[in-house]
Amino acid sequence: MVNYLIVLFAITLIYFASAERLIIYIRLIALQGLLLCGIAIFELTEITTANLLFIAAETLLIKTLLVPYLLSGITKRSGVVKVHRQAMPGFYLLIFSIAGLLTSVILAGSMPNPFINTIFLAVALFTLFTGLLMIVTHKLIISHIIGFLIVENAVFLFSLAVGNEMPMLINIGILLDIFVGVLIIGFFGLRLKPHTNELTILKD
Amino acid sequence: MVLSFFSASLLLSLLILLFRNKTATRIVSLGYALTLIGFTVYSWTSLNSTELSYFTFSSAGVLLLSILALLALPTFYHGFIYTSGDDVKKHTIYHIAMIMLMTFMAGAYLANGMTVLWIFIEATTLAVAALIYHDRTEAALEATWKYVFICSTGIALAYLGILFLGLIYGRGDAANLSFEALAGIISQANPLYLKIAFIFVLVGFSTKMGLFPMHTVTIDAHSVAPPPVSALISTTLMNVGFLSIFRVYFLFSSSPVLAFMNHVLILAGILSLLISAGYMLKAKHLKRMLAYSSLENMGLVAIAIGAGGSGYYAAFLLIVLHSLAKSSLFYQMGQLSRVLRTFSLDNCGRYMALYPAGALVLLTGMICILAFPPSGLFISEIMIFRAMVFNGQWIVLAGVVILLCFVIYAMSIRVMHIVFSDPRNEPGTQPAAAVSPVESISQFVLLAIVVALCFYQPQFLSDLINQSISIFF
Repeated sequence: MVNYLIVLFAITLIYFASAERLIIYIRLIALQGLLLCGIAIFELTEITTANLLFIAAETLLIKTLLVPYLLSGITKRSGVVKVHRQAMPGFYLLIFSIAGLLTSVILAGSMPNPFINTIFLAVALFTLFTGLLMIVTHKLIISHIIGFLIVENAVFLFSLAVGNEMPMLINIGILLDIFVGVLIIGFFGLRLKPHTNELTILKD
Repeated sequence: MVLSFFSASLLLSLLILLFRNKTATRIVSLGYALTLIGFTVYSWTSLNSTELSYFTFSSAGVLLLSILALLALPTFYHGFIYTSGDDVKKHTIYHIAMIMLMTFMAGAYLANGMTVLWIFIEATTLAVAALIYHDRTEAALEATWKYVFICSTGIALAYLGILFLGLIYGRGDAANLSFEALAGIISQANPLYLKIAFIFVLVGFSTKMGLFPMHTVTIDAHSVAPPPVSALISTTLMNVGFLSIFRVYFLFSSSPVLAFMNHVLILAGILSLLISAGYMLKAKHLKRMLAYSSLENMGLVAIAIGAGGSGYYAAFLLIVLHSLAKSSLFYQMGQLSRVLRTFSLDNCGRYMALYPAGALVLLTGMICILAFPPSGLFISEIMIFRAMVFNGQWIVLAGVVILLCFVIYAMSIRVMHIVFSDPRNEPGTQPAAAVSPVESISQFVLLAIVVALCFYQPQFLSDLINQSISIFF
C-alpha cells in the first residue's frame, strides 16, 4: 500500500511540471499532504500511537488544509491565475522533470541500505529536485513559495523513511513545517506582492 | 548552568516585553550581556563537560562563545544608539530578538548533536528575520523575505544531510545523532552516503557561513540590517555556520571521504573568492562591499580547512580575527550613516574632515581586514599559504593570490575615496549629525586586539585552537 501511495506522490510531481494554473498547484500541494498522511500511517508501524496520531494530525491539518487554504487566500487577493512568467517553457520543464526522476532512481539504486526502501529514497530525491527546479525556473514569488513547500515535503518524506528508527527526526521535520512554512506563507505571502517578481530593490 | 542561562535569557526577554520602556529595556539588555559573559566564564571552567545530555563545552564551542561574549556589550551599546529614535514597539522587538539571537547562537556553539544544532540554527533564522525587518521599509521586507526563504531552503537541505547521516550505518546505531555516537560508527559507513551528507550539510549551512553557493542570503541582509545586526550576521552567525560545517568535517575526517571533502571545500572557497573579488570591483554600496569582504574571508577559511596541516589552525585564527575586525567596521557603519547620511559609495567622501575618529577606524579596519601587517589576519593568511605550499597546491595558491589582489585593490580605493576624496555626486541637503568620538572606542579596542594578536598569541587561545583541531595531528 505504501508503495502505491509513493508512486502516486511521484505522479503529482510530474503533474507539477506540466501544470500552469495556480489552483492546480494548490490542489496538488493539498493532495501531497493527504498522501504523506497515508504514507505516515502505513509506514510508521513501530512508533507509539500518540506520536503517530500527532504526525497524522499535523500532515492533515497543516499540509492538507491550512497551507492550501492560505495559498488560496493569497491567489484570490492577488488575482493571479496562471504561472505564466516562467523562465523556461513548460515542455522543457517536463523534460527536466523526467530526467530528474531517472537520475533519482539511478542514484537511489546505487545507494543500497537494508533499512530504507529504495523507492522511498528515489521519490524523496525526485521531490527535492522538483522543488528546487521550481524555485530556480519560476519567477513569481508565489511559485517560489510552492517550490519551498515541495522541498519541505521531500524532507518529510525522507524523514518518514527513517521514522521507525529515529522518530525524533520526524518531529523535527514537523517543526520545520509549522514554524517556517506557516511563517513564510502567513507573513510574507500577505505582505509581498506574490503575483509579481518585483524583488529588485536590492542588487549590485 | 546551561538550563539556567537559557531560563535567564527567556526571563529577561519576558521582562522587556513586560516593561515596554526604553530605559528598562536597556538595563535588562545590559543585564543579559553580563549574564552571557558570566556564562562564558563558567564555560571556560567546565571545558569538555556535558550538561543536559545535549550540550558540551567543547574547545571550539567555547572559543566561539567567547567571541560572542566579547562582542555582546559593543553590540548592545551600538544598538542602543541605533534604536534611540524608534518607538517603544520597535525598540522592544529589536532587543528581544537580539537577546534571542545571541542565546540561539550560544546554544548552537555548545550543541553536541546534529539535531540540536539544527534546531538552534533554524531558530537563529527567525531571530535574524525580526532584526533585518527592523526598519519596516520595502527594502527591509525584500531582504527579510530573501533571508528567510533562502535560509529555510538551505536549512531543509542541511536537514536532508542529517537524515543521510542517520542512515550511514544502520538501524538505531546513532539514533540521537550525537557527534560522539556518530564518531564511533563513521569508519564503517558507506562513503557515498557520507559524501552526499557532506554536500547537503555544506550547501545547507553555507546559508549561515555565507559561503558560495548560498552567499547571496547574507549580502542582501547586510544592505538593510541595522549596523549592529550586520556586525553579528557577519561574524558570530557566520561562525555558527563555520562550526556546523567543521563539526561534520571533523566527524568524517577519519573516513575515506577526507580527500573528497578537501576538494569540495577548496572549490567552494575559490568560487567564494572569485565572486567576492568580482562584486567588490563593482560595489556601489558600502555595507554590501563589507559583506563581500566577509564572503572573501569565509572563502579563505574553507580553503584553509581544505588545505589541511597548518591550515586548520589558520582557519580558526582567521575566524577569531575576522570576527573582531569585521564587527568593528560594521559598528562604524552606524556612525558613518549618521555623518554622511548614505551608504552609497558615490555619495560618500571627506569622512576624515567630517569625523576623524571614524575615518581612523575605517583605515585601521581596512588594514586589518585586508591582512596587511601588523594585522593578525596577516599571520593566518601566511599560514594558509604555507599549508598550500606544503601540499604542492601551487595553482590554487596562485589563484588565491591573484583574487586577493583584486579584493585589496577594490576595497582600498573605495575606503580611501570615502576618507579623503570629495563625493562624486553632490552631497545631500541633510546636515551631518554630530557624532562623539567616544562612540568609536569599542571599535579601536577590537582592532587593537587584532593587531596585538599579530605579535603575540596568548597561551589560552593557542591551547583552545589546538584542542579544537587535535584529531588531525
